[in-house]
Amino acid sequence: MRIAFPPTSRRALPLLAVACLCGLALVWSTPLWWMLVACVRTIPYGSTQAASLVPDLHPTAEHFVDAFAQGDFARWYLNTLIVTLGILMVQLVTITLAGYAFARMEFRGRNLLFYLFLLQLTLAPPILIVPNTLMIVRLGLYDSLPGVMAPYFASAFGVFLMRQTFKTIPRDFEEAAILDGANFAQMIRLVLVPLARPGLIAFSIVSLTSHWNEFLWPLMVTDSPDKMVLTVGLTSFVRSAEQAADWGLVAAATLLVAGPLLIAFALFQRQFVNSFLFTGIK
Amino acid sequence: MAQALADAAIVGPRPERLIEARRTRGFVSAHAAFWLLAPSLFLLFLFTYVPILEALMQAVSLEGFGGKFSGYGFGNFQRLFADASFWKALSNNLVYGLGTVAPSIALAVLIAVALQDATRLNAFLRTVIVFPVVLPLVAVATLFAFVLMPGVGLLDYHLAKLGISGTNWLGNPDTALYAIIGLSIWKNAGYYMLFVLAGLQGIAPELHEAAKLDGAGAFTRFLRITLPLLKPTLAFILVIAMINVVTQIDHVIVLTGGGPSDSTNILLNYIFQAAHQQGDSGRAAAATVISVAALLSLSVASLKTLERGMHYES
Amino acid sequence: MRVMRRIALAAALTAMTAGAATAATRIDFFFPVPVDGALAKEMQNLVARFNQENPDIEVTAAYTGTYDETDIKTRAAIKAGKPPAVALMSANFITQYHIDDLVEAFDPLVRAEGKAPEEFMDGFWPALVGNARVDGGIYGVPFQNSTPLLYYNVDAFKEAGLDPDRPPVTWADWLEDARKLTRREGDKTTRYGIMLPGTYDILGWTMSALTLSNGGQYYNPDWGGEIYYDKPSTVGALTFVDDLVHKFKVMPEGTIQTPAMNNAFFGGQVAMIVSSTGSLSFIRQNMKVPFKVAFIPRNVRNAVPIGGASLIIPKGNSKERQEAAWKLVKWLTSPTVSGGWSRFTGYFAPVKAAYELPEMKDFIDKNPDAKVALEQLAFAKPWFATYNTVAVRKALEDEVQAMLSGKKTPAEAAKAAQANADALLKPYVDATALNLPK
Repeated sequence: MRIAFPPTSRRALPLLAVACLCGLALVWSTPLWWMLVACVRTIPYGSTQAASLVPDLHPTAEHFVDAFAQGDFARWYLNTLIVTLGILMVQLVTITLAGYAFARMEFRGRNLLFYLFLLQLTLAPPILIVPNTLMIVRLGLYDSLPGVMAPYFASAFGVFLMRQTFKTIPRDFEEAAILDGANFAQMIRLVLVPLARPGLIAFSIVSLTSHWNEFLWPLMVTDSPDKMVLTVGLTSFVRSAEQAADWGLVAAATLLVAGPLLIAFALFQRQFVNSFLFTGIK
Repeated sequence: MAQALADAAIVGPRPERLIEARRTRGFVSAHAAFWLLAPSLFLLFLFTYVPILEALMQAVSLEGFGGKFSGYGFGNFQRLFADASFWKALSNNLVYGLGTVAPSIALAVLIAVALQDATRLNAFLRTVIVFPVVLPLVAVATLFAFVLMPGVGLLDYHLAKLGISGTNWLGNPDTALYAIIGLSIWKNAGYYMLFVLAGLQGIAPELHEAAKLDGAGAFTRFLRITLPLLKPTLAFILVIAMINVVTQIDHVIVLTGGGPSDSTNILLNYIFQAAHQQGDSGRAAAATVISVAALLSLSVASLKTLERGMHYES
Repeated sequence: MRVMRRIALAAALTAMTAGAATAATRIDFFFPVPVDGALAKEMQNLVARFNQENPDIEVTAAYTGTYDETDIKTRAAIKAGKPPAVALMSANFITQYHIDDLVEAFDPLVRAEGKAPEEFMDGFWPALVGNARVDGGIYGVPFQNSTPLLYYNVDAFKEAGLDPDRPPVTWADWLEDARKLTRREGDKTTRYGIMLPGTYDILGWTMSALTLSNGGQYYNPDWGGEIYYDKPSTVGALTFVDDLVHKFKVMPEGTIQTPAMNNAFFGGQVAMIVSSTGSLSFIRQNMKVPFKVAFIPRNVRNAVPIGGASLIIPKGNSKERQEAAWKLVKWLTSPTVSGGWSRFTGYFAPVKAAYELPEMKDFIDKNPDAKVALEQLAFAKPWFATYNTVAVRKALEDEVQAMLSGKKTPAEAAKAAQANADALLKPYVDATALNLPK
């Protein structure tokens, strides 16, 4: 759809609209712009110019040096990678299997089971944080990375998504594979998974993004420094009771945490956008 | 297991086999399907069903002083309902919900409609609006700690040039919740915009052409064609937005801890405080049960919407 | 191949050293450091030194966030059956740990060394004993302690015609100075006289300081079931603060977040702030213009609460781990280590002997502000600690925040706070003081 306006205002209005939009984009990008400017600028404590958006002509790396000196970023990156990829690996298996079952098989109680699965859709783990922590303790997974990952291994949302994906794939492909003598596992691996790739990729991106950004749950079930993830590490910079925040450091640390996703987003914008559209729920 | 999988492969596809298998299919499929569903079911059992039941049990279990079990009853709910902070949290959550959901969706629609053409400028503007979506909520909160700081913060510093200064956004019970709302809109509007963009692509251009021939202006067509056809999309966004409103609290924890004067204390933060700061697990469980019930009725009410909305492949 | 072999070698070496380390007792140590990341690093250094000096013990130090978070995490870990051997716990949470029976008494460990518990506690400043001993037992060993201090900008004092060597002593002086220090341009205030921190946790502490200097007690130090929010001493303190904001307008309205307050102090937008002695080093290092510190002014008497944290040994640790924990506690509170940590952070050293060390005497001579903090210790009282301390504290804080924003009068705030706090204390009161012979 192209918005066309009556002849009289054809020029004026779009211009106005464009101006409004640019203004909005300006407001929207200011905090991020500030982060980029501030992380390489020396900001003395008490400076009234901390909010200035004009980039400094002599950028400094001191905040990044401080951030790496004070925070164990290598460890945090590693842990975050382990957690996000670990969750994703297991999820891909569980949702493919269950998605297939719901898409292709008929069995008694299918609808009931499907609804039981869907329960989890709206119950993001933070809501059940208290009983879930108890469960992790009981399983002996407290203060371990598997403990951070475990509640996310099953994903009702992923199952739902894969069910929809499989439903769009014609059954002929499977039948042909079986006729050619493939067994079930081969059929899934060689036929269905490649065909369901868009769904799997979309799910992967959403899963990686949301778990990279997760905070409360890893905060609650770990306490050893070697189990910290990026988001938890970030807050150790800024959530102190008795100080004035070092804003340059805060900006640098925030960029270090958010940077990988921002870069990934800028590079793979189209895939990101498509996957968000495809999946809908984080 | 192997047998079950092999059976599963037989099930369904070819007509002749279907007839052959019809008598036993129910059994065989259930068996095979069970093995495919087992991993997910087992995990859901551990981390969803059992915790829900546990929250329920704890909500109706009464504890005496020192955590000694003293029977079942609705005492936890009574204490919950008698607690002014709970009602405050509930009403905060309502205001927070209305204040975040309606403006972010409205903004999402407006921006999407304006930016739907694939020009370079539009692509750039869209990217800018979507960037906050991939930021961790915690990082957003950290940034906004500075944005909202009175005096030297980003907002105050630049507003001062317009003659508005000295607003202590997070320090005043009247404005703190709105500051949190502003943050959420900034973070989420881009996300919702993506769905609207997808929804717009599903609207046939012919409809607009026809209306244009009938002399309908842009605004009329937006009202009469675009909006009605976006309805399923909007309903879907509404559901996601409402889930976000209940389940996201990282920013509250980082920025205000629920204060000042409980003015930014929303339900999940209330549960968190009751469980961890006040050691009142019974009341926390009762509040959990209430929010679980709310979310479940939301999901039941919106299953159809979700199913439709799940598949906006462009 | 070479790579593989090297990996194999490394693995074997790790296995060997791990084998050697099994002889050592491995313990966890949870610590919050509410100042900044550099302190967390310094704490890791201290622990590394301890591990080196004590090859039979291997301590892992875990930074567990703020005081409140450390409490949550310690409780979760105890529940999980993985308690840390030592936790650095906000000194006013210890009463609750004792009520919940989650913490070991130090008395047997002290006695095993042939010392009487009283003798052991005599090594610490008297003000610290109140929070460390509950119901006659020692449940916490003070490690880093603080009191609130008045920080003031010397240049602002001079500019306002005040003598920077004569800080306000009474509330009347304080108000008068604040009025002189407040600078207005039109309807805009470019410099405030006073700021008090208003966020959860530090607000409660600051209000208790004002209540104590107004002659009050704030809470019943001997029994955790009573709090005195609606008594004249507290109401007076609330009214004083409300007047500073709404009547005399020498303090900005609303809740002031600590970073914003410190930032304003650094930037000269406020002339006097109340902050912890724990911030001394931080402010000294980062303040560009001269500042000084003074006692918290008094209305009735000089009195401040202590703050800071003590070391505890949570229940659920084996005898062996308790012994190891005790060694760590003794090492951390030895005069040398304690003094070093004090100089690094600004907290004062809880052990009196630390101040006999030459390096400490030298430091005090060079830093008169640290001397003021030390002298105020003579007037310090225990930190309020009741049953359900955090919630009881929040009961007042929520009301004070409402008052700071002009939503409630001091009397209304005090009354509501008292009612809410009483409701929170009721289970404990019913189980103890009102649990009468039938």
